[in-house]
Amino acid sequence: MSLTRRLVLGAAAGTLAVPYVVRAQAETFRIGALNPITGAGSPYGTGMQRMIQAAVEAINSAGGVNGRRIEVFAEDTQTSPQAAVLAAKKLIEVNRVRAILGTWSSGVSLAVIPLTNEADILLMHTSGAPALSTPPANAKNLGYRYQATNDRFGRAFAEIAVREGFRRPATMAFNNASGIGNTDGFRRAWAAKGNQNGEHVVYEPNQPSYRAELLRVLSTRPDVIVMGSFLPDTTIILREWFQTGTPVKWIIPAWAANPQLVQALGPAVTNGIIAVDSVSNEGAEAFTAYDAAYRRAMNQPGASNVYAAMTWDMANTLALAIEQAKSFETAAINAAIRRVANPPGEAVSAFAAGKAAIAAGRKINYEGASSVLDFDEFGDVTPDFGVFFIENGQFNRRYVVKI
Amino acid sequence: MVSYVVFLLVVAGIYALLAQSLCLAWGVTGLVNLGLAGFFAIGAYASATLTKWGGAPVPVGLLAAMLAGAVAGFVVCVSTLRLRDDYLAIVTLGFAEAVRVVASNEIWLTGGTDGISGIPAGLPRDWGQGFHLAALGIVTAILGLVWFALRRLVASPWGRALRAVREDQIVAAVAGKRVTRLKAEAFAIAAAIAALAGALYGHYTSYIAPEIFQPLITIYVFLAVTAGGNGRPTGAAIGAYLLIAFLEATRFAAEILPGVSAVQAAALREASVGVVLILLLRLRPRGLFPERNQKAPA
Repeated sequence: MSLTRRLVLGAAAGTLAVPYVVRAQAETFRIGALNPITGAGSPYGTGMQRMIQAAVEAINSAGGVNGRRIEVFAEDTQTSPQAAVLAAKKLIEVNRVRAILGTWSSGVSLAVIPLTNEADILLMHTSGAPALSTPPANAKNLGYRYQATNDRFGRAFAEIAVREGFRRPATMAFNNASGIGNTDGFRRAWAAKGNQNGEHVVYEPNQPSYRAELLRVLSTRPDVIVMGSFLPDTTIILREWFQTGTPVKWIIPAWAANPQLVQALGPAVTNGIIAVDSVSNEGAEAFTAYDAAYRRAMNQPGASNVYAAMTWDMANTLALAIEQAKSFETAAINAAIRRVANPPGEAVSAFAAGKAAIAAGRKINYEGASSVLDFDEFGDVTPDFGVFFIENGQFNRRYVVKI
Repeated sequence: MVSYVVFLLVVAGIYALLAQSLCLAWGVTGLVNLGLAGFFAIGAYASATLTKWGGAPVPVGLLAAMLAGAVAGFVVCVSTLRLRDDYLAIVTLGFAEAVRVVASNEIWLTGGTDGISGIPAGLPRDWGQGFHLAALGIVTAILGLVWFALRRLVASPWGRALRAVREDQIVAAVAGKRVTRLKAEAFAIAAAIAALAGALYGHYTSYIAPEIFQPLITIYVFLAVTAGGNGRPTGAAIGAYLLIAFLEATRFAAEILPGVSAVQAAALREASVGVVLILLLRLRPRGLFPERNQKAPA
């Protein structure tokens, strides 16, 4: 028992020492990187955290913001609202962070946003739930969503289905706000075009097999299946579908249909899948810079983790907004975010360039690695959607859909 | 820092309430209740829906949560009368999962996977630190009441009968104890306590969703009760506080370790929980506060 007690005491003593260690350093602007390192979000979380750190490194080497360095404190949400709340409270109260970046699932963001509102700091997240746009969650307008809402993704899917001439679409959704948001958005938009919706199946997470759900959908003989899904479940579903030998097309969001999926299943299974993402311009300079940073940190292409591109943009927009606000106060920074991210203005794709332009008194418009990043009054983005066809393991972009 | 500690104390108080529930059902009565998270969820949803959508005051919500928990506990116990040990454990685990699946699919009642946000607290949240201190006072007072009542119950003839059921229910029945009734009573009271904890959690954090009520909560509370001593309310409560202190301490310990990536730090945190559990069971198999033998009345 003495060992345990010593462990607990030692760790508790360490806890007490933390604020002094923090205070001993020069004045910095502190941000929290609160990402899903473990749990359902783990395929994305580490990359998200590394890209916040990489972007901050670039910002600091460009002289920091308003003369201060940005300091990153990282925590794991465990993709669990309850664990995330404890981690967020620690970031806010112990590390005294002034913004939290990169919460992933909607449940986590909805659980964390009351804490950030109470502390009067910004929350930048990648969650899809519509509830995050409006009160009570976004009562103070301090929440920013870097991902297009799932409803908008759904609308883009409907445009694609029309353009590809599909007649009998079925939908499958992972049972969370994000998954159902995608398929509901699709079904609404599809019905609004005067079409008939097909079978709709919502499946529970963490199943070893989705054969029952899949057969229910396939038995209605759809010509396309529109997914609201994530990487692990999509991998299983596509494998089981391929074994059935039934011909059908797939429309899948790019966070699930990514190079890792192709790597797991091979080019034969994934051939012809339509992957949809919000990177408006893969030639964008911000994307090139992000992609290089992602390859350095994670040894994988940047396109394999759309959420990491979003966290890269979070750090950059936040830094530019601080630079624009000439202040470290939340209200001033919040007011400056749309000013640096939205048109009109000189398009910039990196912090250093934006900082120089702001110093020269010019209005800037940050064009991000994840999308053009123009925020509406709710703090949501409406990007254009890139439509990719997976052919022989390659992602070939065919066209862009605007909604 | 102070408000972080206050926040942790509130959360730990809620875990301590769950530990009281498990102490009664498992420690004293011997009913392995792996469905703790389910009763926790039932309480949270009962109180949140009543106060948010029904406009009921928070104390009414808390009472309704306990009632809902007790009814659910009674139903689960009565429908599993013939099950003991592992079999009961599996059924209760299934019950908790069923509650979670119902909560994520019955959108009209529970808001689905979006959960319920903006749950009223019964206290003004704009008190800032004062709100958290008041919440701490209320949760601690409720915990104190439950702890006191449970101590009295466990020491009473009723508590003795429960322990007799735990040790050998046939002998207890032969001795004239009404085993079924005793089990149902204990299980329903335990479920009501867990539901109360859930209601408090919802009102304090203002947000609940199905994914909060994962089996991991049940495991953590088992850990707390095992550490503290499963037959004594005092041990269970202290175990819960130690558990939260330990879990949070690993967060800072992982930061201090040099050259550890985020994924490795997360894995180390989880591993350390397992190591401590093994050490505890090796060195202190009956917990920090082992159950004391009660002398027979003279």
